[in-house]
Amino acid sequence: MTLPNKYSEGNQGIQHKFIYAVSWLSTLSGWLAAVMIVAAVVITCQMIFVRSILNLSTIWQTEAVVYLMISATLMGLPYVQLLRGHVNVDLIPILLPAFLRKYLYFLTLVLSVSIVLVMVFYAFEHWHLAYERNWRSDTVWGIKLWIPYLALPVGFFLLLLQLVADFSAVLVGKDTPFGLEDK
Amino acid sequence: EELRLSHQWSNNDIRHQVAQMVADEVKAANVDLTIRIFGSKSLFKPREQYRPVSRGQLDMTLIPLSYAGGQQPAYNLTLMPGLVKNHDHAARLSGSPFMKAIEAKMAEDDVIVLVHGYLAGGFAGKDACITKPDDVKGLQMRAAGKSFEQMLAGAGASIASMASSEIYNAMQTGVLNGANTSSSSFVSYRIYEQSKCYTPAADVALWFMYQPLLMNKTTFENLNSEQQAALLAASKKAQAFYLLEAKKEDAASTEVFRKAGVEIAEMTQDDFDQWRALAKETSYKAFVADVPDGQALLDLALAVE
Amino acid sequence: MDPLVLGGIVAIMTIVVLFSGVSVALGLLIVSGGFLLAFDGLRSLELLPEIFFGKLDSFALLSIPMFIIMGSSIASTRAGADLYEALERWLTRVPGGLVISNLGACALFAAMSGSSPATCAAIGKMGIPEMRKRGYPDGVAAGSIAAGGTLGILIPPSVTMIVYGIATETSIGRLFLAGVMPGLLLVFLFMAWSLYSTWKSGNKQLLVAGNYSWRERFEILPRVVPFLVIIAGVLYAMYGGVATPSETAAVGALLCLIIAVIIYRLWHPKDLWVVLRDSTRESVMILFIIAAAGVFSYMLSSLYITQSIAEWIGTLDVNRWVLMIAVNIFLLIAGFFLPPVAVILMSAPILLPIITTAGFDPIWFAVVLTINMEIGLISPPVGLNLYVINGIAPDISLKTILMGSLPYVACMILAIVLLCLFPGIATWLPNAVMGASV
Ligand code: NA
Ligand code: NA
Repeated sequence: MTLPNKYSEGNQGIQHKFIYAVSWLSTLSGWLAAVMIVAAVVITCQMIFVRSILNLSTIWQTEAVVYLMISATLMGLPYVQLLRGHVNVDLIPILLPAFLRKYLYFLTLVLSVSIVLVMVFYAFEHWHLAYERNWRSDTVWGIKLWIPYLALPVGFFLLLLQLVADFSAVLVGKDTPFGLEDK
Repeated sequence: EELRLSHQWSNNDIRHQVAQMVADEVKAANVDLTIRIFGSKSLFKPREQYRPVSRGQLDMTLIPLSYAGGQQPAYNLTLMPGLVKNHDHAARLSGSPFMKAIEAKMAEDDVIVLVHGYLAGGFAGKDACITKPDDVKGLQMRAAGKSFEQMLAGAGASIASMASSEIYNAMQTGVLNGANTSSSSFVSYRIYEQSKCYTPAADVALWFMYQPLLMNKTTFENLNSEQQAALLAASKKAQAFYLLEAKKEDAASTEVFRKAGVEIAEMTQDDFDQWRALAKETSYKAFVADVPDGQALLDLALAVE
Repeated sequence: MDPLVLGGIVAIMTIVVLFSGVSVALGLLIVSGGFLLAFDGLRSLELLPEIFFGKLDSFALLSIPMFIIMGSSIASTRAGADLYEALERWLTRVPGGLVISNLGACALFAAMSGSSPATCAAIGKMGIPEMRKRGYPDGVAAGSIAAGGTLGILIPPSVTMIVYGIATETSIGRLFLAGVMPGLLLVFLFMAWSLYSTWKSGNKQLLVAGNYSWRERFEILPRVVPFLVIIAGVLYAMYGGVATPSETAAVGALLCLIIAVIIYRLWHPKDLWVVLRDSTRESVMILFIIAAAGVFSYMLSSLYITQSIAEWIGTLDVNRWVLMIAVNIFLLIAGFFLPPVAVILMSAPILLPIITTAGFDPIWFAVVLTINMEIGLISPPVGLNLYVINGIAPDISLKTILMGSLPYVACMILAIVLLCLFPGIATWLPNAVMGASV
């Protein structure tokens, strides 16, 4: 498996190992997301075939593909973070001198980590409730809802790890705040 | 004090009017209580409203109770084919031991009912009329509700699962041959433009859906006695209005379809009996197998004259 | 606190947070979480994951990753080059043939891809080096592709139209059709400008460059067949009663993947992974913004800000065209900074009631909004298409790309003005095909 970021390579020190391990996890998660999207494509086509050619019932497909897409989005979060694929507007950082930029980076990181922590915590609670009470979807298929809900805490937790790994990369000097070059 | 009520209906829907009526009456009672309505899905999506109410994050909602059937399987009885015969029967069900049993399930989730109410619905066919089980054999159908899907599948139809907003497109392109949903949805999604024949809820109807105004129980109990009394009085008034309007709704939808040049079919008592016999073998059976105390609940419902 | 004042504070905080370099989606979550915590209490945070999940729980959204797969699987083959070359061989006798065929290829490619960056990348990879080799100014080469690429979200299928359709509950099929004629209008305006600027630059030989024999012209035609197969397959699925419009995207995606693997021999797992990686990246980015913007709009609604703004604007007594100009300026500015889906999802709940009460057609408005978003795609500081061009031709400076794109921005503004004068450009086709809207 090839890792997309140059800074994820190397093996000196605990931080480097951590960064490497996390980018490996994120990449794995990204693969999973891609597989889920492809599965959604195939299942949708299967549904069209079953319905229009075989004229049979399609009970589970609509729900399955929607849950696959949601899970793919959540599992894709850490991978896209690793690829720097989440668009951002770095207007203020560009305007700031380098030392202030560092503080702003730290501040945005604390805010990001906090909100992701909130998501992880309540997502886990939500998932646990669905599991404990055996909630199902209100359809004939009636899938156990803890299965699709599982991607919520897991995806956000991996995103949390990736955010911390990105921060470590800045700390050990493998990356700069916001990926911007020093002036 | 302010209560928050969320629902999915538009401003001219009777379910909004019911909610608005409760809000207006409570305000007029002058007991330091206001109800703020978030309509048209502006706060929560339709199926996401039950859980916040049961956990006290939202105070009130007006939803089809069967939306929460995945959490309390007993609720599936509130959208079961042939269980309700007409609106007056529905009103008697609302006050019966059956409803008391359902309300006991709600209490487990910390939810109470303020306003009871059932709405009816029918069938629309793209190419032909749908009145009896034989009519749906080999058709691609979209039904509102799990129990109806099971019954239609038992009649030999193929079930296409899709959102109600997709019915129009699906019927237009021929993906669907027929659909079954509430009278108001048939009108609001303009299904009359795509159907040849409409079987509305009339003297005999198959499709009734229980859509109560719910409130979080703890929140209600924390109100002072004057506020509680005002809320209950408002709800009583709204419930009478709800029943009256629900009856008008079916006739109104029939009129819309007739004006659009759609043939209007009628379901006879014999058709109804055929559907019900089929439902007993399919959806009732599945329900009883699925829910531990299902048979007892079903008997309670069937006992209502 | 008065919801309107609160709305103002939310707006300022949102701008500050979104400009601070944090990703747009996380920024929206941060702002939403912060205001909910401050004004609705800790318990409101409990609901965030459910709301996040619920905003994605829609079958129509599924077509977004699928239309992106269509674009990126074809973009990573030589299909874009084939299409482009075919057009060029046939259009050489037309003055300025090369830039014309580039824009034509962009428009055709846009008809298969739902996203603008994918369109831009597919045609740009071949088109930009070729134009520069023939001596076109860097600005024209980069600018025409950047602008032509934006057509990806106007000419159907379009990811932003899907998002708009979901947010406003308007028919996606109708929205798609509404984009066709304005898309062609823009292509025409882009072509006119490209010809004029090339002619004015004095490089007369560019206008008559290249000459192909009829044999060469017919030789290339079979290589365009896969395109026609895909477009025909999708149209058949959509109008032939096989699939609903939302399902059609899956047929298109599967067709494109199959054609990419079989005809363009994209069978090496590594190449295939590149396609999947690119489409996963773009889909996840967009869907994350959609979910986060959904949480944001929940916050606005929960604090009664959306409703108050709509009521407040309802009380203003202004001319409807003054209103439309104000809305356009707002969209333009929002589009400068934010990706299209974020703008649509954050503004649609507030803008749509205003627009419809002022008597504007929501379908027509979708087109105006989309063209505004297209401008945002080729303007700083966040212009996705500019980044794509920068990736394809790193030696052209961002400034040159930007200056080259500016005249095309003018074309888009002209198109908006034309749409205001003649709304039929957008509404005629959907009404003709699907019947008058109610
Ligand atoms: Na497109
Ligand atoms: Na921009």
